[in-house]
Amino acid sequence: MIQTFVRTVLGSMYGQVSTYQRIRPPVTAVGGEHDRLIEAVALRRDREAFARLFEHFAPRLKAYLMKAGAPAGAAEDFAQDAMLTVWRKAELFDSSKARAATWIFTIARNRRLDVLRQDARRTPMPEIELSQEEPERPDQVVLMAEDAARLKTAMARLTADQIEVLRLAFFQDNPHSEIARRLDLPLGTVKSRIRKAMIKLRTLLDDAGGEA
Amino acid sequence: MTGGHNPSEERLLAYAAGTLSPPEAVVVAAHLAMRPQNDAWVRTLQSVGGELLDDLEPEPMPDDALARVLARAEADAGQVLASTPLNDMVGLPEPLRRYALGPWRWLGPGMRARDVHAPRDGDCRVILLEIGPGRETPRHTHGGIELTCVIHGAYATETARFDVGDFEEADGEVLHQPRVVSPDPCLCVVALDGQIELDGWLGRLMQPFIKL
Repeated sequence: MIQTFVRTVLGSMYGQVSTYQRIRPPVTAVGGEHDRLIEAVALRRDREAFARLFEHFAPRLKAYLMKAGAPAGAAEDFAQDAMLTVWRKAELFDSSKARAATWIFTIARNRRLDVLRQDARRTPMPEIELSQEEPERPDQVVLMAEDAARLKTAMARLTADQIEVLRLAFFQDNPHSEIARRLDLPLGTVKSRIRKAMIKLRTLLDDAGGEA
Repeated sequence: MTGGHNPSEERLLAYAAGTLSPPEAVVVAAHLAMRPQNDAWVRTLQSVGGELLDDLEPEPMPDDALARVLARAEADAGQVLASTPLNDMVGLPEPLRRYALGPWRWLGPGMRARDVHAPRDGDCRVILLEIGPGRETPRHTHGGIELTCVIHGAYATETARFDVGDFEEADGEVLHQPRVVSPDPCLCVVALDGQIELDGWLGRLMQPFIKL
C-alpha cells in the first residue's frame, strides 16, 4: 500500500534543491542542549524535557518518513512510535558516543523497514546499537564534541550535488534507482557519485583533525 | 577503507541509511561485527544521518500527538522490552545469533547449508554455507545478487582470496567457482537472490546446490 504511494508521492518532493550550508544555522549549542534533555528523561522521566525533544524531533521524523514516500498519517504514527522509543530507551543514550540527533536518527533508521516493507515485520532487522560497548578512552567526551564539529565542517565542504546525493541516499526508499530517475543519470553514474561523495567525506574527516 | 575485501561504499551507505534489503543487511551486519573499522564508519554515517535529520523541513504534527505518546508511555511503564533469544551456534557473529536456523541440508560431498530465518525480500534469502577443505562449489552464476561474508576458514575464486570477515559481492555477470583453501571447513553467510545457474551439463546434475 505504502509502496504504491511511493511512486505517486515522490514526484512532488525534492522539487527544491537547497544547499546544506544555507539551511544549517551556525549553532552548536543546540545539539548539546538536546543531549541534556534526553539525559533528563533518563534520570527523572522529565516530561517537560521530553516535550521539548518532541517539539523538535517529531515533525522532523514525520518529514523523514514522508521523504521515503509514506502518507502523512503513517509518517505521524512512525514519528510517535520513534519518540516513544526515545522515552523508553533514554537510559541507553550516551552523549559521549552519539549526539541526540544521531541517536534519534538511528532509532528511525532501525524502524523504517518495519514500516516501509511489510514482509520485514515478522523477524527483527539487524539494528545498529550506538550504546554498544566500545573500548573506553578517557578523552572520549572531548573527542565526541570535536567529532561533531569536524563532521559539520566536513559536510559544509561537500558540493551541493554531493549533499543532494547523500540526502537522497539517506531518505529515499529505493535510493539508487530514485536518484537515477530524479537526476536523470544512468545507475552506474549514480553509484560512482555516491562513491565519490563517500570518499571525499572520508578524506575531509581524516584531514579535518589538523585543519579545522 | 581498510585492507581485505570490503562492501562497496554505496552498500555501506545503504546499510547505514537502513535502505538495504533485509537479507543483504544481515550479511553486512555480520561483516561489520568482524571488521571494526567499517563498523566505526557506519557509526560515523549515523552522525551524517543525524545532521540531515536535524536539517529536514519539519512537517507539523497533530496537536494531540505529544499527549498520546505520553499516555502510551504511562500505560506501559515498567514493561521490560523482551530480548530475542539467541540461537545455539555459538561461533557465529552476534547479529546472526538473533535468527532461528533451519536444519543442515546435504548439498554434495563435504558441502552443507542451513537457512537463516532472517526477513526475506522477494526471492532474496540468507543461508549459512559450509564447505570442506579443498572442495569447491559447482561453477555457477546468479539470477541476482550474491553477497558472501566469511565466518570461518577461507576460500579462493579465480581472481581473489577471501579470509575471515571478508565480503564478496557477485551478480549475474560473475561466473565463479569458489574453492576452500583453509585447512578447516569454510563457513560463510550468504544472501542469495534469484536462481543459481550452473555452468555445463555436469553442474546441472548438482540438483541440491541449485535448490539453495
